[in-house]
Amino acid sequence: MFEVFDYDFMQRAFLAGIIIATLASISGTFVVLKRYSMMSETLAHSALVGVAVGLVAGYNPLWVAVVVAVLSAWIIEYLRSSFSLYSDAILSILLSGSLAVAIIIVSLGGAFNNSLLSYLFGSILSVSNADIVSISIFGTLSLILLLSFSKELYFIAYDEEVAKTSGIKVKALNFLLVTVVAVIIALSIRVVGSLLIGALMVIPTVSALQYRVGFLKTVLISLFIAIFSVIAGMIFSFYFSLPSGATIVLCVIFIFIISLLVNKK
Amino acid sequence: MSLSFQVPIFDVKNISFKANNQQILSNVSFEVFKGQYIAIIGPNGGGKTTLIRLLLGLEAPSSGEIKLYGKKIKNFRTWDKIGYVPQRASHVDENFPATVEDIVKMGRTSKRSIFTRFSKEDKDSVNDAMMKMDVLDLKDKMVGKLSGGQRQRVMIARALSSEPDILILDEPNTGVDMVSQKRFYALLSKLNKDEKITILFITHDIGVIADDIGRLLTVNQNVVVCNNPKETLGCDDMSSLYGVHAHLIHNHKHEH
Repeated sequence: MFEVFDYDFMQRAFLAGIIIATLASISGTFVVLKRYSMMSETLAHSALVGVAVGLVAGYNPLWVAVVVAVLSAWIIEYLRSSFSLYSDAILSILLSGSLAVAIIIVSLGGAFNNSLLSYLFGSILSVSNADIVSISIFGTLSLILLLSFSKELYFIAYDEEVAKTSGIKVKALNFLLVTVVAVIIALSIRVVGSLLIGALMVIPTVSALQYRVGFLKTVLISLFIAIFSVIAGMIFSFYFSLPSGATIVLCVIFIFIISLLVNKK
Repeated sequence: MSLSFQVPIFDVKNISFKANNQQILSNVSFEVFKGQYIAIIGPNGGGKTTLIRLLLGLEAPSSGEIKLYGKKIKNFRTWDKIGYVPQRASHVDENFPATVEDIVKMGRTSKRSIFTRFSKEDKDSVNDAMMKMDVLDLKDKMVGKLSGGQRQRVMIARALSSEPDILILDEPNTGVDMVSQKRFYALLSKLNKDEKITILFITHDIGVIADDIGRLLTVNQNVVVCNNPKETLGCDDMSSLYGVHAHLIHNHKHEH
């Protein structure tokens, strides 16, 4: 029954999956509360531009993806805070624009092959030890930053203006949040894919919100849902030969539906 | 009066504010001193909320200068001395994951540095603020499940938990029923008298609070300060402020 854990590659996949579930769900709480859900999708596609550049130019796609995602996050935050534009429209433009740029770069460079597809859909089973080390180091740093400022970010998510009038550096912390989220997304796309990371970031929190409990409990429920979905999704994908990223997302959506029904008013 | 020896909390000098080529405030000057209980009235669109936003540094004046405790706004750092309760405070997002205690704790955020844990002093201030606003027994309730009046008191408790010198409230009674309103004004008046907290608030309920307030700022592009509103504010003033003919209906509640 538990032969799934006998394989080295599966052990690495579980470890990477659990780390990413932790990062995505905790950062996702702030993303959802600040109504940045769509931003996670956009950043995931911006990261693809980095992957494309990395693949074509021969650099490590992961690190180029981190740089491009962070730059893209700063542009979005700058446009959002400095101009009265429709923020969802900006995100939509950047999302489709990034995807288009990524596809053109790889096709011009002749690299439109399985490598890009593995970043689109994720390939958790081919995660290497080096991947786990880099995800752990940068993931831990991101998490420490996020948790250090969690009370400020929570206040900003609740009421940005009042937070500002009580002396909190709202602008700087908004940039910090989008930077951390961009790093986490770029680190994660190798594992769950850019099409799916947004789901892992947003759906566990939205499910946890259905239980209508305080902030700390919401974060913990979201964390539990994310980790449970990753483990369940990988077990299903192993036994039924399904694509892992997509199976994980369907698991988390299933939990979301259960949460909705259980907490129906 | 001894007021002249104090540094004013707010020293507003000749400020004007323009938005979209429209003059919202013109050449406004006034001071706010510690311990005062001040109501701001005026017609909608007259610039009341803009005035408060300028005082809080959320907008910058087109000309003129505002000083807080003698410092220019951009150099002012001790924002925890100022508690702000915005107009929309009672309309919270019902799904936001926050208990009453979570919200009131937010008021302590700027007092704590990033790695400090929630101390006993923080806890005492939070409990004290909840007690003063009579929401201690609601502390584990989700804020989305409260009534308008209860939410309003929670938002003020949050502002109080940072132990401010002054509370600034923008139409605090929007969405609050009449019974809660009276209770609310009694609480504000008590905070001013017993806790010596300066109160500055926008209201339309001038009749309800006329007996308590010490000063009145009437705002309609210009600001006129009435230092003794009960005696100086008559029908003519109200008519010119609101641009309609006004009748004063006397409240005889203290005469029985």
